[in-house]
Amino acid sequence: MRQGFALPPQSGKTILVLRPSVRVAEQSTGGMAEPRAEWTDQARRHIDAALVELQRQLGNRVIAAPEAYGEDARLVAEHQALFAAVSRAVIEYQFFVGNRLPTKKRDNKAGQFDWSLGPDVAKLPGADQADYALFLYTDDQYGSTGRKMLQIVGLVAGVGVSSGVHAGYAGLVDLKTGDLLWLNADFQMGGDVREADGAMKRVRQLLEDFPGSTIAKEAAAPAATAQAKP
Amino acid sequence: MMSRLIAALAVTLIVALLPSAAMAHKLREQGVAVSIADSPLTVTPGRDWNRLDGNVGKHTETWTLDGGQLNDLTFFAGIEPGKPLVRERSKKREPLPKFGAGTLLVELPELFEATYRTAKQIADFRVTDVQPTRFLGQDGVMFTYEYVDQDQLTRKGEAHAAIVAGRLYMIGFDAPRLHYFERNIGDFHRIVQSARMS
Repeated sequence: MRQGFALPPQSGKTILVLRPSVRVAEQSTGGMAEPRAEWTDQARRHIDAALVELQRQLGNRVIAAPEAYGEDARLVAEHQALFAAVSRAVIEYQFFVGNRLPTKKRDNKAGQFDWSLGPDVAKLPGADQADYALFLYTDDQYGSTGRKMLQIVGLVAGVGVSSGVHAGYAGLVDLKTGDLLWLNADFQMGGDVREADGAMKRVRQLLEDFPGSTIAKEAAAPAATAQAKP
Repeated sequence: MMSRLIAALAVTLIVALLPSAAMAHKLREQGVAVSIADSPLTVTPGRDWNRLDGNVGKHTETWTLDGGQLNDLTFFAGIEPGKPLVRERSKKREPLPKFGAGTLLVELPELFEATYRTAKQIADFRVTDVQPTRFLGQDGVMFTYEYVDQDQLTRKGEAHAAIVAGRLYMIGFDAPRLHYFERNIGDFHRIVQSARMS
């Protein structure tokens, strides 16, 4: 969480919930992700439904982003792609302590969390009616175990790696500055998003530490078992 | 959840480190001249940068501010004739175009584009401008480009290149079109202007 940021329940702030960015692919032996439209459609439906259910528990006023068309739709998609790239950078270079960047080490020591999408977020449809935007992004690739190992080794070696196989990122962004205020991001999340139960589990995991929310963590024992699966 | 990820990565890291030297990104300090990839090319950065551990090819170095996804400054420091710009994943299946003894400055944007298309496996790449320039004290070429990477994010880039004693020297900067490119293009220009052959 960004230093100095707090979001108590019923704070009077409004959160713009963007439609989640969802992608499900099959990973070939060669490592290429081949998008699977029917899996992605299923996952999108289930994740949308789970979010409608859970966003009531976020603890603050929530509005859904208006349906975007044309140039607006392109702007939303580009911001979602940027949000995902920033999330990956945070995981690789901040959450993974052994891989931190020397220029950011001083910040990290002081507990600083300083990442941004930039001020163009203010142009997103619906931004003028809210204080913050909630971004949700999932990228799932169902593929071979060997490929997964290669990606982890690649990550450790610091070479460019694709996002992983069950990546999920949830982030709260200040709609004036673009600053990332809170982020929950993981390359290996639980829940098979192609099924309703799995999608609910995924969205719950993404939002479980959301500031000011009453979204309970899942019962520890079954969740731990399920999450331990590759 | 995050602690579990970190724990898993830490274990992997320890295993990965056993046979080799410790990985580390290195600080490149403001105002301190440094040579690039053991070549005669030196630059003096106008702010602190990070040199990423590892490289994309022989004679290359990559620097960043926030991570390779968000700002990627890559030096090609003396590519020899007959060699590709970056390491070939598979010489047979995915051969990369080669810099040649007869390659002209004006052909460099095309070489760069063909390299990106194959190495990054991207379909959407456009060179947006090509201009003659002075680089490393001689005639060079400057070009700008825009592409959509595997992560569906549109990035902009700019590169400055010259051929010195038959070898290619080039510095390129890539960053997301949103926010990041404009924010740091000035820092890139400072590095290009500081580039010298020692």
